[in-house]
Amino acid sequence: MERQEIMRRFAEAAGNPLSYARAWKERTGRKVIGSFPMNFPGELAHAAGALPMILQETDDPITAGHGVLFPFYCGFTRSMVDQAMRGEFDVLDAIMFGDHCVQLLGAADGIRMHLTKTRVIFFQLISSMCDPWTQGRSEESFAKLRAELEDFIGEAVADDAMHASIRLFNRNRALIRKLYDMRKKGTAPLGAIEMQHVVKSSMIMDKAEHTDLLQQLVAQFEGAKATPNRAVRLHLSGHFCQAPKPELLEMIEECGVVVVGDDLYHGFRYISTDVPEEGPPVSALARWYMDRNTGVPCPTRVQNNVDWDAYLLDAIRDERADGMIVLMAKFCEPHMYYYPEVKEAFEKAGVPHLLIETEHEGMALESLKTRVETFVEIVKRREAA
Amino acid sequence: MNRHVMGVDFGSTTAKTVILDLSGNIVAHSVAHMGAVSGDGVKQSMKDALEEAGLAQSDMGRVVATGYGRRMLDEADKNYTEITCHARGAVAMVPGARLVIDIGGQDSKVISVDSNGLVAQFAMNDRCAAGTGKFLEVLARAVEIGLEELGDTALQAREKLKISSMCATFAETEVISLLAEGHPKTDVLGAVHAAIAMRTLGLVGRVGKKGPVVMTGGVAKNPAAVHYIQQALEMPLILPKTPQIAGALGAALIGLDDYRAENKHLFISEHEDMAREEQMAADKACIPGCRGVPELAVDPFEKQPPKGKLKSLLGTIQNHI
Ligand code: SF4
Repeated sequence: MERQEIMRRFAEAAGNPLSYARAWKERTGRKVIGSFPMNFPGELAHAAGALPMILQETDDPITAGHGVLFPFYCGFTRSMVDQAMRGEFDVLDAIMFGDHCVQLLGAADGIRMHLTKTRVIFFQLISSMCDPWTQGRSEESFAKLRAELEDFIGEAVADDAMHASIRLFNRNRALIRKLYDMRKKGTAPLGAIEMQHVVKSSMIMDKAEHTDLLQQLVAQFEGAKATPNRAVRLHLSGHFCQAPKPELLEMIEECGVVVVGDDLYHGFRYISTDVPEEGPPVSALARWYMDRNTGVPCPTRVQNNVDWDAYLLDAIRDERADGMIVLMAKFCEPHMYYYPEVKEAFEKAGVPHLLIETEHEGMALESLKTRVETFVEIVKRREAA
Repeated sequence: MNRHVMGVDFGSTTAKTVILDLSGNIVAHSVAHMGAVSGDGVKQSMKDALEEAGLAQSDMGRVVATGYGRRMLDEADKNYTEITCHARGAVAMVPGARLVIDIGGQDSKVISVDSNGLVAQFAMNDRCAAGTGKFLEVLARAVEIGLEELGDTALQAREKLKISSMCATFAETEVISLLAEGHPKTDVLGAVHAAIAMRTLGLVGRVGKKGPVVMTGGVAKNPAAVHYIQQALEMPLILPKTPQIAGALGAALIGLDDYRAENKHLFISEHEDMAREEQMAADKACIPGCRGVPELAVDPFEKQPPKGKLKSLLGTIQNHI
């Protein structure tokens, strides 16, 4: 398949996840299980024969959801509740909720109260990542999740099926990581929106279908020569539960920027770490959960021996990036609390960065463009000086 | 090679043009007022500056645009944002400045500058007109007073009132109710300017307070705004003579940098120029040191040894002899 056609399929699923789910359900007659970001192992629902999909924020203005969540909740949680209230989640047979932050917990409660017919699977993951009991507690959580899932589908999920799902998901992640590597080297000149479509569609589409398309896409860049690019090389950081709006990414690139790396959830954070393929699958998932926080540290987790800021400075060195743009979703508390540390570390290291606060309700793009252009001018002039 | 460069600040309500010679001296500048961003206003401003300088557009070696309309100017070779240009212009006007507060018609920005005069950090109003010239304009209308008298009237304030809303529309409602309560216009306007100052202080907090502080932009011409901002900052503000042209000046200076870098081989310093002339005269003379009057000729090699590279070259030759 041609690159354009593959990208079109990815963009279509990324742009309208629930339509994809409806079509898949009609085609297969199987169950669709939606989940909240960022720590659910889709492998479990996949092994149970369902379509696991990570629920996505939409661009629609919040209407019905206003009655459930205060406007000072982040855009992702407000959009989740709003979609639920408007009946958009009817296609979902079950929703898996977690509580990686207080706002997510509020959204889960709001949805739970309104979608009385949808099965809700709720579980908590330990947020302290380096205690002697972290692995054990994580295993307990994943075992409970597996039991709930089995109860929901009415049959046991075999270890073999879980191993097969783990292998498929690992393959999918490895292919996307390969694309990241190629982009860094310049052999796969994928724009920021294209990269988002690749990752976001992986959160939505049937994993086997997605992996097959990915394989074809990667093959097209294999052996390609690096295309020289004179634009300013930047790393994009932040944005956890929601994908940055494509128009924002487009605007950033229009300012003479090439994005060479990211740690966005709708980016490298999602595919950074594989699940061990050996041993009991539940222990492997617990290991994955813990390893992910060393792969790309997350400010919603607590781990004394990893620093997100140190990770970012390393990533920037490795990507030969000239600086970083931080995309912070308005009212995202975990990010707001951690950002001062990133700011301090970057200022100390003399690496330029620009903070952009994003909003569900839309942004004054023209004014933001002036800020990004100024940032690009600063980076260029500093290099020239 | 052209001997001048031009900087144009295509702002939201005014257009400013600065023409520099190749040594960076301002040859001409102009400010044209427009209703809104308009191509005609910019053309007028450029025309006025060219007329003042006695030059034509084709005499410009480089034209750099800045401001809201920077991408719309056909004559511009390059464009830079108003933040980069204002910082550059303000530091040129006030050498050593480390913080630039620029309040214009549609936006307000605070820029911190490092010791090399490069932008270190910046913050700007990115949501609404709060703390900008527009905010003052709306509230001047609510008080039914001309923009020109605004500052002087506000300076006569006696009682401290408070306007808490940062949104121009809501602030207007507050102003109207304060007037309805019987407060004099002077006090109400004092509160309006104090509100602008607090908003500016917020922006300063985002980039870090340091001095010397220079204020540019149209609002720098409003004495009450300056007074209240100084009070809030607890620091003096340095006001350049022509605060409105800082952006255009910065654009012209950046244009000059680029033009110089591109034509490096054509630029020679005064010192090099003199040395070259002497060398040429020496080369042409049949009697050493003769400049057309042989009897007055002084052998430059004996009495006035040439400097720099030429000297060492001659030294080497003499040693060889
Ligand atoms: S982590 Fe941030 S974006 Fe995600 S739900 Fe919590 S507040 Fe919202």
